[in-house]
Amino acid sequence: MFSDLSAQKEGSSLLCRPASEVQGPVFERMPPTYSPCSERYTFKERSFSRQYAHIYAARLMQMRPLLSERAQQKWGSDVLIRKLCDLQTAEQCCIVGTFFKRMDLQPSILKEISEEHNLLPQPARAKFISETDELILEDELQRIKLEGKIDRDKCVTGSIIAIYGAERNDGKFTVEDFCTADLPLQTARPALSSDRFVLLASGLGLGSIHADSMLGLQLLVDMVTGQLGDQGEQSGAATISRVLLAGNLLSPSTQDKDASTKAKYLTKKTQAGSVEAIRLLDELLLQLAASVSVDVMPGQYDPTNYTLPQQPLHRCMFPLSSVYPTLQLVSNPYQANVDGVRFLGTSGQNVSDIQRYSSMDSHLEILEETLRLRHLAPTAPDTLGCYPFYQKDPFILEECPHVYFSGNAPTFESKLIKGADGQEVLLVTVPEFSSTQTACLVNLRTLECEPVRFSAFSADDDEESEMNISH
Amino acid sequence: MTTKHGLITDSFKVVKKARREGKRQKRPTPPPPQKEGDSDPVREEELQKLLKFDLDWRFGPCTGISRLQRWERAKLHGLNPPEEIRDLLLQTLTDPEYKHSLWREYPL
Repeated sequence: MFSDLSAQKEGSSLLCRPASEVQGPVFERMPPTYSPCSERYTFKERSFSRQYAHIYAARLMQMRPLLSERAQQKWGSDVLIRKLCDLQTAEQCCIVGTFFKRMDLQPSILKEISEEHNLLPQPARAKFISETDELILEDELQRIKLEGKIDRDKCVTGSIIAIYGAERNDGKFTVEDFCTADLPLQTARPALSSDRFVLLASGLGLGSIHADSMLGLQLLVDMVTGQLGDQGEQSGAATISRVLLAGNLLSPSTQDKDASTKAKYLTKKTQAGSVEAIRLLDELLLQLAASVSVDVMPGQYDPTNYTLPQQPLHRCMFPLSSVYPTLQLVSNPYQANVDGVRFLGTSGQNVSDIQRYSSMDSHLEILEETLRLRHLAPTAPDTLGCYPFYQKDPFILEECPHVYFSGNAPTFESKLIKGADGQEVLLVTVPEFSSTQTACLVNLRTLECEPVRFSAFSADDDEESEMNISH
Repeated sequence: MTTKHGLITDSFKVVKKARREGKRQKRPTPPPPQKEGDSDPVREEELQKLLKFDLDWRFGPCTGISRLQRWERAKLHGLNPPEEIRDLLLQTLTDPEYKHSLWREYPL
C-alpha cells in the first residue's frame, strides 16, 4: 500500500533539528516506459456528410464472428445460428444482432417540434426507463421483438448480443438464454521489481463559483511533487511515476449558455468563464509537469469537441506548461501502455449515459457491463454524441486492458475481475475531485488501487478540525 | 394608452390583406434527368455491375461513402467482396458515375 511505503522509511521525521547540509537527499522518480496507443481515437479528416447507419453496420460486421464463436462455445458447436430472415417458427436457434430499446420517455426531437401535440418540452429526468419499454433485436435486414428471460431494464441500445431461443407464433422471439462477447484476450503484463504507482484524478472543477477544492488540489500537487511531508513521505511520492487527469478539468459553471443568446453589446466586455479557468489549469499543470509525467484527458465540460472521441485539448491553451515534454494532451477515450500495464478509460460520459437509460446505478457495475459487452460506449450514437465512423467502430475493445477506468464518478470504487481466458482487469471508478477530494493510486506491480483523500476545512465545521491527509 | 377621442382605427378602418398561403417550403431539387442514349454497351454493363454491388445487403449501407471505400470496408471485415469490382473501380478513378454510389446526387 502507498501509505505503508511512506511510513516504513526511517528517514528523519519532521520533529527534528534541520539537517546541517544545505541540500537534503534527492529522490529520483523513475520514468516509466510509456507508449500511447490512442491513434484510433484521433482523426485527421472530419467529414460529417455521412449517416450513422455505417457505424452500426461496421459494429455488427466486426462483432458477428466473435459472437458466433461464443455462442458455439456456450450452447454447443451444433447450435443453429440463423439470420432473422431465415427464422422458422418454434425452431430452437441462436440469433446475433444489435439491441434496440424503444423507450417512451426517451427525449425525441420529433416529439418536441410536433405542432399537433403542442407539447411542452420534457422536464429533465435522471432516468428515462419506464415499464412500457420494449426490447428489439436488429440484424442487417430485419428486427424482432424479444421477450422472456432477459432483463430489459439492464440492456441498452446498441449492444451486440447473441440470443438463444425460439420464435413464437405471434412473431415475437422468446429468449431462453443470451451471451455477450465477453472479455477479449490479454497480453500478460511484465512482473515489476518494485512498487510503482499511477495517480488517477478527475473532475478537478476549476473555475467554479465555489472554490472549495482549491486547497485539496494544491495539497495533491504538493504531495505528488514531493513538497509535502518528511523524507519518508517524499520518497514514497517518488514512486508515483505518472499522473492521469481523467476529464472535467473545468467546472460546469464555466459553460455559459447565455453568452450565445444574449445581445452582443451586453457580452462584449465580459470574458468567457473558461478563459480564467484555463489559466488556473495551466498554472497547476506547470507545477505538475515540472516534476512528473502528466496525461490530460478532456471531459464533458472542457473546451474541445462534444462528440466522442473527444480530441486532445490544444496546446496553445497551455503556454506555460506545454513547454515541458512531460505534459501529454490526450484524447477521450484514452489507451496507453505504462510499464507494460495497459490502461484504457474514459472521462465518464459513456457510463453516465448508460446510467440514464438503464436501471443500473453503480458506475462500477456499468463499467463491468461495458467490458463484458466488449464495447466502450454502446449507446453511441443513439443517445451519446459520436463521430460518424464508417469503416470500423473504434470503441470495440480489441485487446483486454489491465486497468479499465472511468472518470467523474460520484464515489471511488474498484474491483479486480478475472476473465475466462486468464485475463485480470482492475476496474476503477475515479471520483470527482471537486466534490469528494479523493484521487486514486494504482499500484502497477500488484494491480491494487487505493484512494487518497485530501479533506480540508469545510465551511460549516463548528469544532476545530485538523487538516487530514488520510490514506 | 387610449384617448377619449377614439382610436385611429375609428377613422381609418383596418383592412386585412388576404394572407398568402404559408411560405412554401423549398423542396430539395430532384437530380437532373439522366442523359439519354448512352450508347456504350460496355460502360452500361460495368455500371450495372457496380449497381448490383451497391445494392448488395451483405456489405452494409452504400450512401455517403465512395464505392472503393465500401469495398475496402467489406474486405477488412472478411466479407469477400468480388475482386473484379475493385479492379474496375481502380481503372476508373476519375469518373464520378463509377466512383460514387447510386445515391450520389441526393443529399444526406
